[in-house]
Amino acid sequence: MSTATVAVRRKEKAEAVMVEMCSVRLGQTLFGVPITHILEIVGAARPQPVPLAPAFVGGLVHYRGDVLTTVSLRRLLGLPPREGPQDILVLESAGGCFGLLVDSVGEVLTVSSADHEPNPSLLDERRKALFAGAYKLSDSLLVMLDPEKLDPMRLSAALA
Amino acid sequence: MDDDLTREFLIESQEGLDRMERCLTDLEEKPQDAGLIGEIFRAVHTIKGTTGFLGFKRLETLAHAGENLLGLLREGKLAANRPLITGLLELLDGLRSILKSVETKASEGDGDDAVLISHLEALRLPAQVEAKEPVCVQAGAASASAPPPAKRKSAATKKRSATPPPVAPAPVAPAPALAPPAEPAPSAAPVAEAPVDAESEAARPHVQTAAESTLRVDVAVLNRMMNLVGELVLTRNQVLQATAADPNMTMLSRRLDMVTADLRESVMQARMQPVSNIFGKIPRIVRDLSQTLGRRVRLQVEGQDTELDKSLLEAIKDPITHAVRNSLDHGIEPPEARQAAGKNPEGILKLRAAQEGSHVIIEVCDDGAGIDVDKVRQKAIERGTVTARRVMQLSEREQLQLIFVPGLSTSDVVTNVSGRGVGMDVVRTNVEKIGGKVEIDSHVGKGTTLRMRIPLTLAIIPALIVRSMNQSFALPQGALSELVHIPVSQAATAIEWIENVPLFRLRGKLLPLVFLDRLLTPEAERKDASERDSFIAVMDADGRRFGLVVDGLADPEEIVVKPLSAVLKDIGLYSGATVLGNADLALILDPGAIAMKAGVTLCEQEAARAAEDVVEAARSREYLLVEVAGHQAAVPLNDVLRIEQLPLRRIEYIGFRPVLNFQGQLLPVDDSGGVLDAAAPDPEAKMIVVVCREGNRQVGIAVSHVLDVAAGGELFEAGSAQLTSGVTLLNDQVTGVVDLGGVARLAAGEQAPAEWSQMGETVA
Repeated sequence: MSTATVAVRRKEKAEAVMVEMCSVRLGQTLFGVPITHILEIVGAARPQPVPLAPAFVGGLVHYRGDVLTTVSLRRLLGLPPREGPQDILVLESAGGCFGLLVDSVGEVLTVSSADHEPNPSLLDERRKALFAGAYKLSDSLLVMLDPEKLDPMRLSAALA
Repeated sequence: MDDDLTREFLIESQEGLDRMERCLTDLEEKPQDAGLIGEIFRAVHTIKGTTGFLGFKRLETLAHAGENLLGLLREGKLAANRPLITGLLELLDGLRSILKSVETKASEGDGDDAVLISHLEALRLPAQVEAKEPVCVQAGAASASAPPPAKRKSAATKKRSATPPPVAPAPVAPAPALAPPAEPAPSAAPVAEAPVDAESEAARPHVQTAAESTLRVDVAVLNRMMNLVGELVLTRNQVLQATAADPNMTMLSRRLDMVTADLRESVMQARMQPVSNIFGKIPRIVRDLSQTLGRRVRLQVEGQDTELDKSLLEAIKDPITHAVRNSLDHGIEPPEARQAAGKNPEGILKLRAAQEGSHVIIEVCDDGAGIDVDKVRQKAIERGTVTARRVMQLSEREQLQLIFVPGLSTSDVVTNVSGRGVGMDVVRTNVEKIGGKVEIDSHVGKGTTLRMRIPLTLAIIPALIVRSMNQSFALPQGALSELVHIPVSQAATAIEWIENVPLFRLRGKLLPLVFLDRLLTPEAERKDASERDSFIAVMDADGRRFGLVVDGLADPEEIVVKPLSAVLKDIGLYSGATVLGNADLALILDPGAIAMKAGVTLCEQEAARAAEDVVEAARSREYLLVEVAGHQAAVPLNDVLRIEQLPLRRIEYIGFRPVLNFQGQLLPVDDSGGVLDAAAPDPEAKMIVVVCREGNRQVGIAVSHVLDVAAGGELFEAGSAQLTSGVTLLNDQVTGVVDLGGVARLAAGEQAPAEWSQMGETVA
């Protein structure tokens, strides 16, 4: 990339903002959660299942003296369950804290809002509601998750 | 003056007024909001109620005037327009200034509220309100640029501080008196405020203000502390395990252990308070109210030391006060009326607190006139709360619960004490806010019981940990009455079915069963229950009796109840979750909800009580059926303390008398059946001793086998119709009853060393 085009691009996207995203892997897809919403990452957890709970509930974990409800991203997306422990992102939302169960948590990536694109129209409705577009990385896409929309209260209201 | 009471009242009233202020300003934006009006009404109502018995006449009169006005507003007879809200804000400021005077000078001050009161009275007449409209429109216009509520409020506040008796310098008609507070008075305010401040400043060194002497800690901070302590306990457990082998760490970890335990206890203590904190205030209320109302009342208090989390305790204070007021005003009749009805002229008001499972039950019970269901029904229909047709479908008990609907009062007269139909509404609102339930039970002429069920959200409860589906669940001990083990060999026959309803014969009665795994995973495939061991936890949840079938039992544990997120609370079967000693999580089952979900019906209270009596009566005639050297014999079950299986060599002899050194005490063993002799050749042989209570001593009976528990029938001697003693009819067989009194005492003077006989005496 020549210096000239970089300059042009800078001019075009003068208001581009850099955002820090925690990358999360689930199956083949790389997801991103803004680190501003993450309270803590708990590794290798085995949540306690809750019989009769809504399907998206991944179970309960013990977190700092509290009992935390987790949302399983796999179940939410209708993916088959995964054997073995999973990582948990402890997220803060308007309704309180909850955990997001993912296969594994990766590094923190700094992405530019200039590389953001909205959800493709071909995406199914359920995913459209959960994803907030994607960032174009050099070798892959980082699908952004909206923590507010993953809040168990909102999920159960949306599914009801 | 009762300082504690007054201080509490001040803090509370100030909070109430702050809330009222917020609501009033909101009301200006949303004049139709019934919720806001209700909230304001309650704030004033509560102040009025409390001031009445504290003896603050001036506050009471003012609050009463305000309440009258708010009552009309709540019924929709007045609209929440500007002059009205202005009037209410003045009321607020008036109340505040008196409260301030109470706080700093310990008296209400000698101001005159006549003008403010007459103004509030005037606002009740719609015509007058209209007449005043122009004045207020002008006021509104003057403050049009700024946010109106704030401006008026500040103006009113300044006005208040300028003249301690609010709105005093307004000698003419109410209408002109209205104008000044609405107009900002910046010139007067700074000058006038100074003396007031100086005065309170001067008063401070002598009179400690309520805010200084008590430290109010945010419950959220306490919650956080509690959680962190819980975390610390778990970390400590791990540290203790990890360092157990290292002698250098022993001292340190022991210390950590102790400090953690102490810390945990004190944080818990900080949150828990005995209900006596609330109950302690009731006698005063009862005394004063019964004087005002001309009642004779005796107060009985039970379970004062039942502890409840601070925040919950706070929340039920108002409901209890209201219930007591209601009982005195509407429940207990005047002495003459009671006498005429053939009752003791002195009424009884009973306050009871008790822990039942994961709830604390608080009852306010009177032996007064009771509530006339017909009257409640009529009122409800009149008010349009329910339709006449709907009400007919309700059971009498359900109709009674209509009394909790806002605005429904069966009292024909609105008195100073109650009768506005606000009390019961407050009771229900407050109790439901903390996840509790409230119920009323009343019989005309006999009395009324108000029962509140308060959850123990943060409390610690004893629970039995059960296993099902490879998961642990906590079952509150309070609802658990007994446990039955069904070994795999009996599984196929022990559980009987009527169509698809599983039943178990518990002492001859059929007990409906609920399989926990089936209930929780209705669609899953599972092995037949008859292929494994199972346990029946016999539950009694508010009169619903059923057996909960689980796969296994773990230890009983004291658990800390952690609230669940709303999504999981909605499932309805779990009352919380807890962290077990081994750091596992367990869901806490709600027995009442399980019974409801499974469709176990509620036995009528009377029926349940009757059944209890029958059980009680049957139990007194129940016998433990034993086999003694080939014969059957019966031991009254009530007298059986425990059944011990032990090797024969544990039996020792004093002379020829067999005795057992049992838990450090000497127990004479009866061997009239010759069981011991028969087993004598083999000292390792196991034998069974039934330990019984006989009068004030304990005796053992050597038996070959314990067979069964059975109800005994009475036998009459033929011809004489005299009750036989010493025999009973068990399973249709005449069976001899072991005569416990006949077991000889270990008297002194037997062929035994002196110290032995002395020990025998202490046992006897």
